Amino acid sequence: MLPGRTALAAAPAVVLFVLGAWETCATREAATSVPGDPAWDEAAATVRARYAAGDLIVFAPDWVDPVGRLHLGDLIPLEMAGRMDAARYGRIWELSIRGAHAPEVVGLTPVTSGDYAGVRVRLFERPAATVTADVLEHVTDARADGPLRPGLVFGEVGFAPHRCVQIVPHGGTPVRITFPQLALGTELVGYVGLADVFTRRDVRTPVELDVEIGGKLVASAKPGVDDGWVRFAAPTTPGPTDVVFIARAAESNRLVCFAAEARK
Amino acid sequence: MTRARRLHVLTGVALAVLTTIAVLVNQRDVGIARDEVVYMEYSAHYAAWWRGLVTFDHGISAKTITATWGGPAATDNNREHPPLMKEMFGMSQWLLHDVLHVCSELTAARAPAAATHGLAVGLVFAFALELFGFGEAILAGLLLLLLPRALFHAGLACFDAPIMTWWFATVLAYYRALDGRRWPWLVGVMFGCALATKHTAVLLPFALGVHYLWLGWRARAEDPARRWTLLVTHRWRVIVSLAVLGPLVLFVLWPWLWIAPITHVAQWMSFHLTHVHYNYEYLGHNWNAPRFPWHVALVTTLLTVPVVTLAAALVGLGRWLGLRGTLPRAPLLLLVLSFGASIGPFLLGTTPIFGAEKHWMPALPTLCLAGACGIGWATRALAAAVVAWRPAWSEAVTRQTLLLALGGMVTLAAATETITAQPYALTSYNALAGGAPGGADLGMNRQFWGVAVRGVLPLLAAEPPPVGPQPRFIYTHDASPAWGLYQKLGLAPRWLADAGHEDAGVAHSDVALVVHELHFNRHDYMIWQGYRSVKPTYVLRSDGVPIVSVYERPASPLP
Repeated sequence: MLPGRTALAAAPAVVLFVLGAWETCATREAATSVPGDPAWDEAAATVRARYAAGDLIVFAPDWVDPVGRLHLGDLIPLEMAGRMDAARYGRIWELSIRGAHAPEVVGLTPVTSGDYAGVRVRLFERPAATVTADVLEHVTDARADGPLRPGLVFGEVGFAPHRCVQIVPHGGTPVRITFPQLALGTELVGYVGLADVFTRRDVRTPVELDVEIGGKLVASAKPGVDDGWVRFAAPTTPGPTDVVFIARAAESNRLVCFAAEARK
Repeated sequence: MTRARRLHVLTGVALAVLTTIAVLVNQRDVGIARDEVVYMEYSAHYAAWWRGLVTFDHGISAKTITATWGGPAATDNNREHPPLMKEMFGMSQWLLHDVLHVCSELTAARAPAAATHGLAVGLVFAFALELFGFGEAILAGLLLLLLPRALFHAGLACFDAPIMTWWFATVLAYYRALDGRRWPWLVGVMFGCALATKHTAVLLPFALGVHYLWLGWRARAEDPARRWTLLVTHRWRVIVSLAVLGPLVLFVLWPWLWIAPITHVAQWMSFHLTHVHYNYEYLGHNWNAPRFPWHVALVTTLLTVPVVTLAAALVGLGRWLGLRGTLPRAPLLLLVLSFGASIGPFLLGTTPIFGAEKHWMPALPTLCLAGACGIGWATRALAAAVVAWRPAWSEAVTRQTLLLALGGMVTLAAATETITAQPYALTSYNALAGGAPGGADLGMNRQFWGVAVRGVLPLLAAEPPPVGPQPRFIYTHDASPAWGLYQKLGLAPRWLADAGHEDAGVAHSDVALVVHELHFNRHDYMIWQGYRSVKPTYVLRSDGVPIVSVYERPASPLP
């Protein structure tokens, strides 16, 4: 039996030895822990067998998205990839690894689930939101005060792809963009953010977007450079109505991007 | 020279040579970093200028100096970086590639960085030998060799690994100069080399200065009559060497300083003090403007240095605390101060963080020396425990056996991390993070400089060339500066021409690459729009983590 102090003094060497053995094994295990293409092929075949047009396909974690698109990207149209949110999709396929979850399916219960050598495939079904009007489809009808014109772009907002209406207001001068006679439902849901990582770096102040319906302010959002794609919503009265989006920026060269849907 | 001394010298040299070879072998699969292209271009000019000077092809005038070394704009002729390593890259290219034809111009340019890394390992071995013993010295050298990211950076024609060498050479030369030698010239020369390598060398006097004052404070007691003057003058020749020879070496090596030296030094420093902040992903957030989290340098080190090296360093630090005040000239304090001066600025929240571990590489020798000391001390303690349990066993043999076993295990773990990390070490994280996939889960930076493109070149080269004289075009965003060099080296097909930049480049391209970094997602989205498809045709992965996507313009895009 060793004296306590002697045994304690021996502990660092034992700990280092055990740590070394663990690290040797753990390093190799980590390097081979991510499922490869055969697993993705199998998972993709499962999705293709039951895929219906309009199904949303998402991947988790975010960083595996390129691999997911390699195997199923042909089923993801550009409009779906740059979606405002997932509410209009009634069926969502989630392909995930390492126990990750896509934000689009949080709170939903899968109707089917399977594991293909580490790639988990889950199908979710839920009632899809009914969209009565989408501002992205009415950009050409939109009127802006002054010389500025909003454009429909596909760009990076918060490091994610989004189709959105882009306006670049002059610093300190609000821009009003009117979508005439938009077919409203019971709710207007939208998102706004600042596009382009480099202008976000160089100009750090937030921007503001107000929404007016019938001359009344119904929603407002103030996304900053690190806020990404910020949601806003307002209850609405069904029927065709002018909807006005007012973008404000204290400084110039802010790429304000927004999207909005009127939902039944 | 005694037999023991000969063994020590041979072992140190062997470790240095082994390291140089390991770096040179490893860099063959490492792509061209964006900055390397710039450094290689100007290094060739610098070397040609020196050769022209000694062969009397040209003289020394403001005109010839400005044409090669400077210019009115902040980055003209790469004047924002001091010249030593570029001069070495250029001379090496000329000698190894142009004259001797023993390797490619890329390997030739990278060879000096590899050699200086070997020198760093040799110097760490030498310092550990002086402080702790032969076994610890070997371990210290191996721990430095087996750092995944350091090995990677040492294989690039850049300044980050070399500054670690010159920084540590200055620390070692300074420590030795404190023995009272009459002509401590080496410390000044080493400091000059450090200054001529990278601007971060200006942090070194903070470590040396505090250490020097500490020794002066202790020296006061020995001569009460000169209490306060001793604080500064106790080894005044060292100060003179650093203050005179250091800048002098910088001046001699950098012709740009031969005209308007004060103005040009001020411009050099000003460039780095007002440097733009590049994008850097850290813990799931893209950082490109201060304030940065104070813990970036600590967490990044924690997740990129082998765990066992860190743990051993922790044990060693404990041992150093026990040894404080017992070693002449306070070498352990010096090493801790060297670590602090290198990594400390990154705790401020305003220092650019985009280069991550490469910016505080001079901190690494301290970690490795502490690690080796920790392993040696832990082994001795274990050997004492074993002999207490089995008194018949020889303590010396037991200790050597255990040092071999524990040192072997630590080396194995560090080697496993290092080998697994290559050639995409910037994507790699240690076992504590969960490797490259764990690093991706944590939202740690994926990579930078576009080096991973090297991995998809064989795929592109295997494509059949186009029929007819028209080339095909490729969009490569941040690998674009290296594309011409890849073609020159025969790694990228000649018929695949660079398409240009941003949306126009995508529109002009037949093939497109995306180097995966969070802020490069925008290139994916440009390509999706341009090709009307989100489907890549190939995704290069490092341990399962995507690092480069390849897209080919579809014949019939999705509706």
